[in-house]
Amino acid sequence: MKKEIFESDIGESYIKAVHPSGLKIYILEKPQYTSSYAVFGTKYGSIDTCFSVDGEETSVPEGIAHFLEHKLFESEDGDAFTKYAKTGAYANAFTSFDRTCYLFSCSDKFYENLAILLDFVQSPYFTEQTVQKEQGIIGQEIRMYDDSPGWRVMFNMLMQMYHNHPVRIDIAGTVESIAKIDYELLYKCYNTFYNPANMFICIAGNVDAEKALKQISEAVRAVEPIEITRINQPEPETVKSSYVEQSLAVAQPLFCFGYKEATSKPEKTVKERICTALLMEIIAGDSSPLYRQLVNDGLINDEFSTEHFNGYGYSSVIFEGESSDPKRVSEAIKREVERLKTEGIDKKLFSAVRCGMYGNAIRLFGNVESIAMQLVDCAMSDSELFDEIKYLKSVTVEDVYRHLSELDNEKTVLSVINPIELI
Amino acid sequence: MAEKLLRLADGVDGLFIKNDRFNTTLVSCNLYLPLKKETAASFALLPFILTSCCKKYPDFSRLNYKLNRMYGARLDATAEKYGDYQLLRMSVSVINDRFSLDGESLVKQACELLLRLIFEPATENGEFLEADVAREKRKAIEHIKGEYGEKRIYAKNRLIEEMYKNETYGMPKCGTVEEVEQISGSALFKAWEAMLKTAYIRFQVVGASLPAGLFDEISAKFADTQREAITDCKVSAPTAPAVTVNTVEELSEVNQGKLVMGFSSELYGNDDCSLPLTVMCDIFGGGPYSRLFANVREKMSLCYYCSASAVRQKGLLTVESGVETANAEAAQKEILNQLEAVKKGEFSDFEFDSSIKSICDSLNSYNDSQGALDTWYALKANNENLYSPTEIAQKISTVTREEVIAAANGVKLHTVYKLLPKGEKSI
Repeated sequence: MKKEIFESDIGESYIKAVHPSGLKIYILEKPQYTSSYAVFGTKYGSIDTCFSVDGEETSVPEGIAHFLEHKLFESEDGDAFTKYAKTGAYANAFTSFDRTCYLFSCSDKFYENLAILLDFVQSPYFTEQTVQKEQGIIGQEIRMYDDSPGWRVMFNMLMQMYHNHPVRIDIAGTVESIAKIDYELLYKCYNTFYNPANMFICIAGNVDAEKALKQISEAVRAVEPIEITRINQPEPETVKSSYVEQSLAVAQPLFCFGYKEATSKPEKTVKERICTALLMEIIAGDSSPLYRQLVNDGLINDEFSTEHFNGYGYSSVIFEGESSDPKRVSEAIKREVERLKTEGIDKKLFSAVRCGMYGNAIRLFGNVESIAMQLVDCAMSDSELFDEIKYLKSVTVEDVYRHLSELDNEKTVLSVINPIELI
Repeated sequence: MAEKLLRLADGVDGLFIKNDRFNTTLVSCNLYLPLKKETAASFALLPFILTSCCKKYPDFSRLNYKLNRMYGARLDATAEKYGDYQLLRMSVSVINDRFSLDGESLVKQACELLLRLIFEPATENGEFLEADVAREKRKAIEHIKGEYGEKRIYAKNRLIEEMYKNETYGMPKCGTVEEVEQISGSALFKAWEAMLKTAYIRFQVVGASLPAGLFDEISAKFADTQREAITDCKVSAPTAPAVTVNTVEELSEVNQGKLVMGFSSELYGNDDCSLPLTVMCDIFGGGPYSRLFANVREKMSLCYYCSASAVRQKGLLTVESGVETANAEAAQKEILNQLEAVKKGEFSDFEFDSSIKSICDSLNSYNDSQGALDTWYALKANNENLYSPTEIAQKISTVTREEVIAAANGVKLHTVYKLLPKGEKSI
């Protein structure tokens, strides 16, 4: 197995290994900790609805990646939760737009837990009967999210921001789309995206890296690597519509305001992501003049937040929260973006937010879960764990300023959830 | 060994939780006060206004700028119900000095800042400043209203309100919108004085070393404060069993209903007397091995989530579930069937062992989380013995089947609250 060790001046180091199957493995040892956190993941999420392998094109129903995640816990010899119950580990899984991750955390019996993880993720067992049962449970999960204002306000925005990109579709799909899923389709997706060459294992905590690597190496199936081509229809640079609203049983309006960013290449680099993160802090972080003005005008509260939402073929800068007047908030953000473009960025503010972000990057190394999840990000984007800290030391105000041009006030969407009573 | 408190002033304790694995240091101030209708709203506003500005940083923007300069130091504020008391928490956490790029004493600065925020607020002539009060009131009101949109939280709050109709525990933790609206700058100042005078106060430090002089400085801060009628938060009134079960059903514009059930428990109190309730609650509705998950969700597919939790201090057990209207009655029936099964000891050794292992595994992870450790000790103010998570794990591992069955037999249904989609009444 090919191995590399990465070290940093903050006293942390990790091993990156590549298994002959193509599986990537990242391990950061924390011998002074009691617990460990492990993730077995695949680059497969809700956006992978159309793909080709060896020239054969396949389209699958929306929500199938999430459905597969639910079903993978069941094996022929019982479900994974029952196996974990014998060790006491906490186990879970999640599906997002571009990844599916199976994880556990434990303070004892790490290698037993790792064996369970390696086994069930590589042992699919789908039958007509178990697929039918899951349609009921996931149907209820979908309905639960239909009532979640925070979820709806975000997806309504994505629906208007993207014409074609499947990021606009709810991760769990719809009751109608999941009804089209059968066990044969599940096997097809599994055999495509759960190929080790498309997967990664990330571990942080009280583990012996060499021992874990040996265990993983012995447990990974010998499968020929395959090349997956993701097929997306071309996505126009424009948004579908700049405003969308829905009414739900809430007491005050919620909003999600996003800038659609150009995606000249499918994924953003670490440098681009850091510049955008700094830029969002400069535009509307809690030390910014805009944040001060919005709070003093009674337009935002502590729920206000920013996010750089990006993945394969999509990128958006998002501002969200609660407000009595979402339109005024979005207009104020647009004005601030224009002001910064004209007047430039306050160097003192840049220096302060960069310092804050550097401290936050250090802070993440104090928690095994956050380290493991950062390693997952590294595996997804082929970057390295210490890149952020390194780049934060050298990034300049000019670097950040250049990214302002990505924010175009003509390519924005404001999504609002209004209280039902007002309609 | 249980942790030991250091007395810093009358009713003011210091607790240093030594743990050298973190790259940050956390200092928290925890204030315990009686939960009363007339004071709940103003007390609850205090942690938020105090951590938004102070005499030295009268503008919240400047304060946030300072926090950024301190390598992203974090200020946190909460106001929670703690049994029949209110727990106000303010904390600061900062990366350790060795990580600063220019050798700054970040931990010292963070301690100084926290003390300034608590003891030197931005006030004039015995009043908090009007703009600050208006801002924090608005945010508090929006927060209260915001809970209505989160139906899981809303349904649980409504259950507690119904279950403890004429008791303090039934009150909202931060008061009502109307009560917040009435708070004035001078009333808030009086509440701040009362808080410093009458709260039981615990300063906690979680980190590699105790910042030099911190506890002495805190003692000195209280030298001029007349401490009186100090809150004793050791005992909360237990939940009395209901004479008849109260069922409340409300309709809302939702797609999925919420079924929340409240139970009284005869077993209640602190860590020395109520741990079997934790195990019982976990076997009943904890992890995927639990009766509720395995039967109500997995076997019968009645809901996506169905879980139980307990407030041992109050002798309260709750079950929360998201259900379709058509399934609400069946789900309620099955939840009660599963409780009966636990009462009769009809749980397997696998379920019992899984529960003990899961609770212990989770407790043994606490030492790896600074925030979790701080919260752990803050929530132990009702205990004479401050057991560590590891010590509680050891105690949990000695809980017997018989103790679990006895705990289950003291659990009685008290109130059922259902939030259902409009036009789909279940009964």
